[in-house]
This record gives sequence, C-alpha cells and structure tokens, in this order.
Amino acid sequence: MDPECSRLLPALCSVLADPRQPVADDTCLEKLLDWFKTISEAGSSLLLLQENPCLVELLFQVLRPQDLSARVLSFSLRLAGIFAAQEDCFQYLEGELLPGLFGEAGPVGQAAWTAPTVRSGWIQGLRSLAQHPSALHFLADCGALDTVFSLQGDSSLFVASAAGQLLAHILGLSMRGPAEGLPSLQAPDWPACAQKIVGHLEESLRSTAPPQVTQALNVLTTTFGHCHSPWTRVLWERLSPLVACLLEEDPLPAAHSLVDLLLSVARSPVLSSDCGLWETLAQTLRHLSPTQAGPLALGILKLQDCPQALRAQAFGVLLQPLACVLKAADQAPGPPGLLEGITGDSVTVDTLLSSKSACAGLLCRTLAHLELLQPLPQRPSPWPQAPLLGAAVTILQFCNGSAAPASNVGGRLCALLAGCVRVQRAALDFLGTLSQETGPQELVTQVFSVLLEHLRSPDSSATVLKKAFQATLRWLLSSPKTPGCCDLDPHTQLFLRELLPVLQKRLCSPCWEVRDSGLEFLTQVTRHWGGQAGFRHVLLTSEVPELAEQLLRDPESYVRASAVTAMGQLSSQGLHATTASPEHPGGQQKSLLVELLRILSEDSEGFPRRAVMQVFTQWLRDGHADVTEDTERFVARVLQAASRDLDWEVRAQGLELALVFLAQTLGQPGSHCPYAVAPPQATLHSPPAQALQALCRVRLFEFAFRALFDCDRPVAQKSCDLLLFLRARTVPHSGPQEAGGSPDVVSVEAALQRWRAGEQGPPLGDLEPETVLAVLRSMDLEGLRGALAESSDHVEESPQSLLQDVLAAVGVLGENQADCY
Amino acid sequence: MPDIRVTPLGAGQDVGRSCILVSIAGKNVMLDCGMHMGFNDDRRFPDFSYITRNGRLTDFLDCVIISHFHLDHCGALPYFSEMVGYDGPIYMTHPTQAICPILLEDYRKIAVDKKGEANFFTSQMIKDCMKKVVAVRLHQTVQVDDELEIKAYYAGHVLGAAMFQIKVGSESVVYTGDYNMTPDRHLGAAWIDKCRPNLLITESTYATTIRDSKRCRERDFLKKVHETVERGGKVLIPVFALGRAQELCILLETFWERMNLKAPIYFSTGLTEKANHYYKLFITWTNQKIRKTFVQRNMFEFKHIKAFDRAFADNPGPMVVFATPGMLHAGQSLQIFRKWAGNEKNMVIMPGYCVQGTVGHKILSGQRKLEMEGRQVLEVKMQVEYMSFSAHADAKGIMQLVGQAEPESVLLVHGEAKKMEFLKQKIEQEFRVNCYMPANGETVTLPTSPSIPVGISLGLLKREMAQGLLPDTRKPRLLHGTLIVKDSSFRLVSSEQALKELGLAEHQLRFTCRVQLHDSRKEQETATRVYSHLKSILKDHCVQHLPDGSVTVESILVQAAAHSEDPGTKVLLVSWTYQDEELGSYLTALLKKGLPQAPS
Repeated sequence: MDPECSRLLPALCSVLADPRQPVADDTCLEKLLDWFKTISEAGSSLLLLQENPCLVELLFQVLRPQDLSARVLSFSLRLAGIFAAQEDCFQYLEGELLPGLFGEAGPVGQAAWTAPTVRSGWIQGLRSLAQHPSALHFLADCGALDTVFSLQGDSSLFVASAAGQLLAHILGLSMRGPAEGLPSLQAPDWPACAQKIVGHLEESLRSTAPPQVTQALNVLTTTFGHCHSPWTRVLWERLSPLVACLLEEDPLPAAHSLVDLLLSVARSPVLSSDCGLWETLAQTLRHLSPTQAGPLALGILKLQDCPQALRAQAFGVLLQPLACVLKAADQAPGPPGLLEGITGDSVTVDTLLSSKSACAGLLCRTLAHLELLQPLPQRPSPWPQAPLLGAAVTILQFCNGSAAPASNVGGRLCALLAGCVRVQRAALDFLGTLSQETGPQELVTQVFSVLLEHLRSPDSSATVLKKAFQATLRWLLSSPKTPGCCDLDPHTQLFLRELLPVLQKRLCSPCWEVRDSGLEFLTQVTRHWGGQAGFRHVLLTSEVPELAEQLLRDPESYVRASAVTAMGQLSSQGLHATTASPEHPGGQQKSLLVELLRILSEDSEGFPRRAVMQVFTQWLRDGHADVTEDTERFVARVLQAASRDLDWEVRAQGLELALVFLAQTLGQPGSHCPYAVAPPQATLHSPPAQALQALCRVRLFEFAFRALFDCDRPVAQKSCDLLLFLRARTVPHSGPQEAGGSPDVVSVEAALQRWRAGEQGPPLGDLEPETVLAVLRSMDLEGLRGALAESSDHVEESPQSLLQDVLAAVGVLGENQADCY
Repeated sequence: MPDIRVTPLGAGQDVGRSCILVSIAGKNVMLDCGMHMGFNDDRRFPDFSYITRNGRLTDFLDCVIISHFHLDHCGALPYFSEMVGYDGPIYMTHPTQAICPILLEDYRKIAVDKKGEANFFTSQMIKDCMKKVVAVRLHQTVQVDDELEIKAYYAGHVLGAAMFQIKVGSESVVYTGDYNMTPDRHLGAAWIDKCRPNLLITESTYATTIRDSKRCRERDFLKKVHETVERGGKVLIPVFALGRAQELCILLETFWERMNLKAPIYFSTGLTEKANHYYKLFITWTNQKIRKTFVQRNMFEFKHIKAFDRAFADNPGPMVVFATPGMLHAGQSLQIFRKWAGNEKNMVIMPGYCVQGTVGHKILSGQRKLEMEGRQVLEVKMQVEYMSFSAHADAKGIMQLVGQAEPESVLLVHGEAKKMEFLKQKIEQEFRVNCYMPANGETVTLPTSPSIPVGISLGLLKREMAQGLLPDTRKPRLLHGTLIVKDSSFRLVSSEQALKELGLAEHQLRFTCRVQLHDSRKEQETATRVYSHLKSILKDHCVQHLPDGSVTVESILVQAAAHSEDPGTKVLLVSWTYQDEELGSYLTALLKKGLPQAPS
C-alpha cells in the first residue's frame, strides 16, 4: 500500500465507524472495496491487517451495538469477506470477528437485516471468504447455510440471485479436494456441507411451491454449468428422478428454469453421455408449450453431440409455427425440405390464433431462434432454405395485407398480423439472414418483391424501413453474378431499376430516420457495386445522387453526416453528377469539395464535420482526383479548418489525415503501420529536403505541436504518436549540430511552453525544416507518450484521491448530497 | 395477471440511475434507462441480466419509456438497445428525442476523451438507438399494442420532461420521472388530471425539503456573479450541454440588461445555437411568459451571451464563461478552471451535483490543494460556490401531485431511504393509501381487481337506448342481461336472445314473501289501503289496482288474504320476478312497517 494511503487509512476507518458521519457519495464505498480487493489479490491480506490495525478495529466496530448505517455495515461485511478469502487471514479473524459478522449473533435477525443492502453485503462477504476448507467448517458451524437457504427466496432479486450462486459455489468448494476425482464416491460419503445443500435441493424439488422449485433448478444450473468434475454425475443421478417427476406435472412448474437446467446438463462433458438425459429432453420438448419449447429446441440444436432423432424433433418444434403459417397460406411446404411432414400441431395453431400478442410473440421468438441457428456449423442439414424463405415472405405478406389466404386460419392470421411492426421487424431480420444462401429464382423474386412492397408502403414505420433497407442490401450483395460476366444478373438489374425510384422517394421522407437509413443504404451499395456498369447506369439515370447532395444541407445533423459519407463514396467512384454537367466534366466534383470544406468550417454539429474529415482522409489515401490536383493546398486547407474545430474528434481526425499525408510525403517503405515507430538504425532512406519543406508549407507542424498540448487527451496522444513517427524517420539523418539553439528554435520552444501552459498565443508562422528537426530532437516525446497513456482523471480516480475525498467530505455534506442532474 | 409488479433496477432508494421495471396485466415496461456517472465500468449501467434471465429482451419487454433527457434517466439507452440487444420500441417526447442524442454524444465524447473507459457505446450506436424511438405528444394516447397504451403529461423539470401513464385495460400506473410543481423562468409546472391510477410512481428527491424561495437563490447567484465581475474577476460556470444552463443564461441575460453590465458572457460555441434551436422548435413546451413574449423577442436569442473561443480564456478583465462538462472532469471546463483557479478574484459556481472522482467533487468538499498530473499541485484560491438550481418537486409539490392524480397506491423512487421513509408516512396519513419504497432489486406486488371486457349485443343496447339512456363512458351503470361465456369470449345478451341461442325454454322464477298486518277490515279494503299507500310513495312506478283486488307494482304482485287463525290480522302475499328484486325487497320492507292510519 502506498505510504500516503497508509497514513490516511486510520482517519478513513474512524470516519466510517462513526455513525454520525455520512459517507460522501454512494460510489465511494464500492470504490474502496475495489481498492482493497486489488491490494488483497496482489499480496498478503494478513500482512495488510497487521500493518494497518485500524482495519480490524473498523470491523470490530460493527459488532458493537450502535446505529451504524446500513451501507457501512454492508461495506464491512464485504470487506471482511475480501480479507478472509486468504486462509491465514481467515484464521486471524476467525475467533470473534467472523462469527460476530456472519453467525447468528451478527446482523442476521437484527433490525439492520431488513435493509437489502445488508443482506446483500452478508452474502457477498460469504461469497468472498468461501475459498478454502477452513471457510467450509466455519459455514457449517455458524449456521450460515440455513440463512443462505432462506435468502434464496429474498424479496430482493439481487440477494436471492446471489444466495443461489453462493450455494452452487459452496457445493463446488466442498466437493473439491479429497472428494474430487472420485467418480465412484457415493452421495452418502459426501462432506457434510454438500450433504446439507443437496438435501435442501431435494426438498425444494419436491416442493409444491413453484418459487422453491425454481430456486433449486437455478442452483443446479449454475453447478452443472460451472463444474464438470465426476461428482456432478453422481449428483445428477441422484436428482434426475426428481427432475423427471416435475415433467409429469401439468402445468409444468418453472419451465424456463427447467429448460436452463436440462441444457446446462446436456452441455456438461461429464453428463451428456447419459442416455436417459436424451429421453428426458425429448419428453420435455413434447411437454412444453410451443412458446416455452423454442429455447430448448434451439439449445438442443446447438449441442455438438446429440442423437439425430432428438435433433430432428427439436428442429421440428422450431419449424412448427412456420409450417402453420405456410399451411394457412395454402402453400405446400415445398419441394423436399424439412418442413415436409411438419404440419403444425393443434397446440401451435391454437397459440398462434389465440391473440394478437401470443401470435406475434411466438412468431418473433421462432424467427429469432432460426436466425441464431442459421450461421452455426451444427445447424441441421439439409437446411430447408426454400420453405423458410417462403415462410418469411408469407409472414411479411400477412403483415402488410398483400396475402390473400383461402383458409380460415389464414384469414385469422392475416387479421392478427396486419400492421404488426414487431413481427415485420423480426421477419425482415430473418429474411436478411437467409440471404447467406440462395433459393429458387422464383422465391428470390418473391423476396425482392416483398422487400420492395415494404420499402414502398406508406404504412411502413421508420424501423421497418431501416430493416427493409438492411435486408435488401444483404440480398443484393449476395445475388449471383452472371457466369462469365462481371456485371449483375438480369433479375438484380431489373430489381435495381424498380428500387432506385423508391430510394429516391425515401430520401425525401419527412422522417429523418428514413432519410438517414436511405443514405446509409446508398453508401453501402455504392461501396460494393460502384464499379458495376449496370449499377452505375441505373444510379446515374436516377435522381438519387442529386437528392443525396441536397441532403448535405438537411436540417438534421445525422442526415447531413450520412449525406457527406454517401457523397464522398459516390464521388470516389465517379458517380457524382457526371450527367448533370456533361459539358464540364469534373466541374460538379470541385463544387463538392468546396461544399464539404464549407461544412467542415461552418456546420454547427460535430457529426457532419467528422464525416467530412473521414471522407477527406479517404480521398487523400485513395488519391482522389480533386485532391491530387493540388494535394498541398488541400491538406493545408483541411488542417487549418480542423485545427480551429472545437470538437476534439475532428482535430483527432485532422491528425489522421496529417499522418496519411506524412506517410505519402516521406514514403513508407515496408511499413504498413505508421504508428510502428521504426528503430533509429532502420535502413530507411533519408527524406528529401523538399518532402520536409512540403510538410512545413501545409503547416502540419504547427497543427501537430498545438495538438500535442490539447486539453483533450486522445488528440494529444495521436499527435505524440505522429511526431514520434516523424522523428524516427527524420532525426537520425540530421546531425545534432544543425540549427540547434537558433533563434527560430528558441521561439518555437517558447511557443510550445505557452501551449503547454494552456495559453493560445500567436501562430508560429513559416518554419524551416531544420528548426522543426531541432525542436523534435529536444522534446521528450517518449516521456509524454507515457504520461498520455494514463487516463486524464487517473489522479482523481487514484486510491489516495478517493481517501482524501471521503475525509474531505466530512462535515461539509449539505443539500447537494441528494441533488442530481 | 391480477397484480401490478414494480422492480427498480435503479432509483430504488437512491438517486443514481433510474431504471424501473413495471409489469401490468402481463405487459412489461421499462421506465427510464439511466446511467450512473460515478463509475467507469459496467456498474455505471443498471444490471440488465435480471431481465435477460427471462429470455430475449425484445420478447420480454413490450416497450421502454424515457421520461426526460438527463443522463441518469437515458444514459444507458444506447448500451441497452445496441449492446445488450433490445430491439423493441422506445417512447419519449419530441424534445427529449431531439436533445437526448446531444447529451449522450456529449457524454460519450467525455468518456472517450478521458480514456480508460471500457465498454462504451459509439456515435453510430447512439444514432441507431435514436432511430428506434417513437416520439409522443402531450396528452396523446399512444397504442403500443392492442392492449397497452401510454399517455404523456407535462412534468416541468427540463424541456420535454414528461410523466407517463401506462394503461392496460382498466389498470394503470403513472410514472412521474423528475418533475417540478412550480414554474421556473422557462418552464411551466407539472400537471396531471385526476386519472386515479392503481399506482403512482413518483420521484422523491426533495422528500423532506420545503425548498426556499427560488427568487432568493437567484438573487444570491446574481449577487455573487456581479460582485466577482465588479472586482475584475472571472466567473466559471461548468454545465452540461443543455438544461439548467439555459435557465442560468436567461437569468444572467436579464440581469445584464437591467444593470447595463458590459463584462462579456461566453457559452461554448455550438451549444448556444443548439439550445436556441431546440427551445425555438419546442416553444410550446416552455412556460406561458416565454410563449407570450416570443413574438416580440425570443428569450433564447441572447444579446449579451456570445460564443466562446478557446483564446478568450486568456483575455484580461472580467468575464463569465459557461463551459462543459459540468463536473470539471475533462475538456474545456477543466482547462479553464486550471487557468483561473490560482486567482482569488475569480469564482467557480457549481450549479449541480458532482460525483466522486472529479475535480468538481473535490472543490465542493472544500479541498483547496489539488494534485494534478506529474505531481503538480494546483492551489485553488478562487471562490468556490455551490448553487443548486435543479428543478424537482419539494415535499409540498409531491403531496400536491398525489392529491391531483388520486392514486390507489404510491411508490417512491429517486430519493434517499431516510427521506423517503418520512414522506411515506406523510402520504399514508394524509391520503389513506399504501405507500411503498422498494430498494433496487426488490419487487413490490400490488393486487388489482381484474377487469374483464364483455361484448354487449346490439339488441340489448338498443333496448337500453329505447329507455332514453344513452351510453356515457364517464358514467358507468348497471345493465341486466344474460352473460354467455363461449370460446373464451364474454357476451352480454338479452335473456330472450340467450334462450334462443342456447335453445332453452323459459322458466319464470318468482320470489314470494308473506307480510302480516294488523287489520281487521276486509281483504278488499286492506288491498285498497295498500294500493293508496304504495301509490303515494312509489310515484315513479306504475301502481295498479286490478279488478280481482290484487295490487301490482311493475312485476310485483300484492294480494291480501285473511289469516286463518286470527281475523284481526291480514296476510299480504308479495311476489316478484328476479328482475325486480331490488324493488321487491324495498316494497316488502315498506309493507312490514305497516300501513298508515286510515283517516277516520
């Protein structure tokens, strides 16, 4: 421990032990515990207590009858637990203190126990100390286990959950050591602690009260999930008949927890070879309602080794609601596929038709489960892509009213799902996922058609439109190329022709969310297809590029930023308004640069300015025609605008751009990472003088030097990295005698001093490369980098500062304590 | 389900971060999704694992409602929707939707700027999260789905702050968020109608305080600023981008105008324009005075407050600067503080609470020698003032709101346990309702009477209307009919229709009763006396004396007969159908009291 902290500790302890002194801030005690935990983990807790007896005194204070606040009491319990996690320290505290804190004589049963924070502290304290055999004896002797049992049903979710976790932990701990590794060890030979817990679990599983059953199931789930020792097999053998009994009850108690337990057991390498387990899983699948069965089915399908019959059953359960939908729409389950034969049982149909929310709930869950399953290697094979596509399309048609079902069930589903945004969102997500594989052309056409319907529909909400754009993008990007040709296939081409007018309309939407999603879509699709002649043609014959340009002046800053990105992308690929001014090729492009510079210097919001910097950096990297026309002028203008920006992220982006320019100017042989500072002896060529001159002309150094002392740390850090890179590339090649101590160097260093002090000062003016090199040589950039690597509030967040804050707050707490924002 | 369950994940006996789960009639709603600024790790967010335990978030939760744009109410939203995975609807008012991303972005920038922050959301996540928002208007009933509806009420506090009523069928909960029952310089007072919810969840920040006059605090603030400026000092006011800052700006602008002061007032560039833009856009959310004077002069177009440039901090002479962030924990406000701290002529005014781990917290607790980076020590000689301008209802205001809404129960959140205890007792005594104050993680369960919707047949409705009684939603009344329960639907139809539908024959059931009267006259005379008596009392009913001597009132039949053993006693045989049960019982009771003496 830091000597200063050691010095402050006694005062801190006396403040904490004084019931008249409220603690400054509700986070202080948490942070103190974090600190003590770090110290304990790094060294001996016993030594810590011996060197700082005030800590033990503080813990003893808790035993005295006084009006100590619940928060401090809880803190003390947790603190004692942290120290007692080490066995020698546990023994040091064991005599009077630990029984006084955690035994029957402690807060249990006293008035303070009514505060959930005290009960939580008690549990957490025990959880910390339960690390060694001595702790187990203590738990058994002091009667704590019974309290933990009762806390499983605590009114506080936090306490109840922690109690369950603690039981699983104690069970695992007590079986460790001699009992571990003995698969034949029968339950009667288990340690007393484990016996007691297992007895309690058995009793709970037999209980008729569902909360108790749930508690027991949760403890077992945690146990089987975390511990894979042979003894868990004995435990499962002992308890599985009780679990099986639960399956016979109707309705099934604690279905959710039961599913979790069975999956946890099935995932355990020690237990999954149990044949009875697969039968239990199959039985449970049959027994659960369609809504409850979904998670179990998905879990089974995710298992690595599982009998094929069970997998088929589970997949059938997952597919049932979709089979119902297809049947309701009078569609055959399709050509050979897994949906064949799954007709949808009556329970599923009943659930689907019972109410709007039940129908939406079951469909959304099913679609989400299948979405999770689709990309997994262990998903069922063959994967029924065609029926699934059909089902997703049908659901979307039910939702937007474009389906014309002939059956009664179809009619009812149509009524239930009409305009149901929740299902639309889920179905569009699922449809997007299905784009990973293709399907019969006829179905793919239907997919595009239903997506277009959604994109066109005036009833589509902003979130539905966003998802429709995303799904469309995924399907477009996965659409097959025409064999032997690098262009788009005719179907896609046709679709694009229909899509662009819709996109055009959506870019004019009164809703900013829709305009923004449209622009994001445009950017993405252009990034991928900007080079495809077919796409270029369709895009350029539409008004989309003009509309996107108009959105650069949108009232909503998010949209302006997206428009900047989209325009940057279009321009990079020569898709910006070339048809608008055929007689002046490039004329419009210039105006885009000017417009983006205007946004950079004038826009009141950070997002568009940041987007401009990203576009400019990309343009510089790619050698965009407008940039290469006069790169130095471009860089100088951008850096000048960025240096004045109040948004530190724009300034940081400015440094990124400077770095790209630097790398291009100085050359970057063999190094792809500009931040990877090469050692001085690296075999680099000396940068030509004119390269350094160019850096001076664009005023890159002034920008970087100012940024080095920026009040926003990431800017300073980025600048430091840039200057280190520069120095590594330049200084080794210049002699130490050059320009050292010249008047220019002195004035630059004086300016640096001012900036370091937070003053602004006048600009540096024109600099000579020699001056810059001399300044770079004289700077302790490595030291600065080390300092900047720490967080800007590391001093205020340090333990010493924390102790000072707690002590300083004594007596000055007033009204501001409860104030908020 | 016949109960309402409330579990605070945050704001349960604390003011850290609001996040309250409400389960009402099988619907699950999350009220606010706040962040605790005092932590740098995941503890800053509510522990959502307690919701994910119940399956997928989007399946479990029907919607999220955000009461206002303060980060302790919305700061965890992008984390919740983009990192934890909630993909359902989020409701908030239009101003909150507009301003929320500014504050989230502001805080994100500070968090990233400070460095060492793990697991924080990005700008793109904030945008994606905001795209999931459905904006609502005041007093507009929004259908989340067929069963769940919500409605916003004006809450004062900050621009766009709202209280929300959550209703499923006849069960409802009102959540106040933060509110203010007294108008301030730019906002009005909170208001709610007499909606009589089953439960009112109210904030209780100032549960035990009757706040001193706001005018006094304002005078004090202006006096301190004025004195500092007069003696040539500089005043720093660290603020968060939007909210309280605007209130202080109006205050200073008016004062500067009145006193003809010349010292410059600066506000971080961009923020003034932004604030101005939003206050103009949402002028209807401000108070009456601002709305009235808006035509002549927009209160948010400040004459004296100028955009700040970094170079201005070094200018000589007095000035007032509003700078972000509000707790002096990074960026510009901290930089200016460091520059000015050494001069005793200067002053820093902290208008809000500062969490531990910030310079703001240190100076508010009186620390004057601050350790800075590189073992440097900054001696704070400038004056340090704390002035709370937070707009919360005080104890009186809370009681006033409870009185306005007339809830069946009250639940306190967003306050300290001890203060809540006091207010709880006061509410229980004064309003005779149960008051709860659960800690975080504790669930309060309130039983409710389930309300079952029943369809009514057109025939029955027409019959009711034929009697001249038009249906009125505000006046519930009794309707007689036959309840048919079929296919889990309930229908009320006329008994004739029920018989027809079910193919049943009609049986009439009559109740009978014998009333003995001391009357030695003949049966006919007794009947006549009964007729006269009933005729005089039951003026609104059709009382008839039939030729056979019996008396009828609606379906009730009264016949007089002689007593078999006592000639001085007559027996009145009263019978009635079940439809006239009420009248029959009344009439029987009446006759039992005897007949009035006949005129001699």
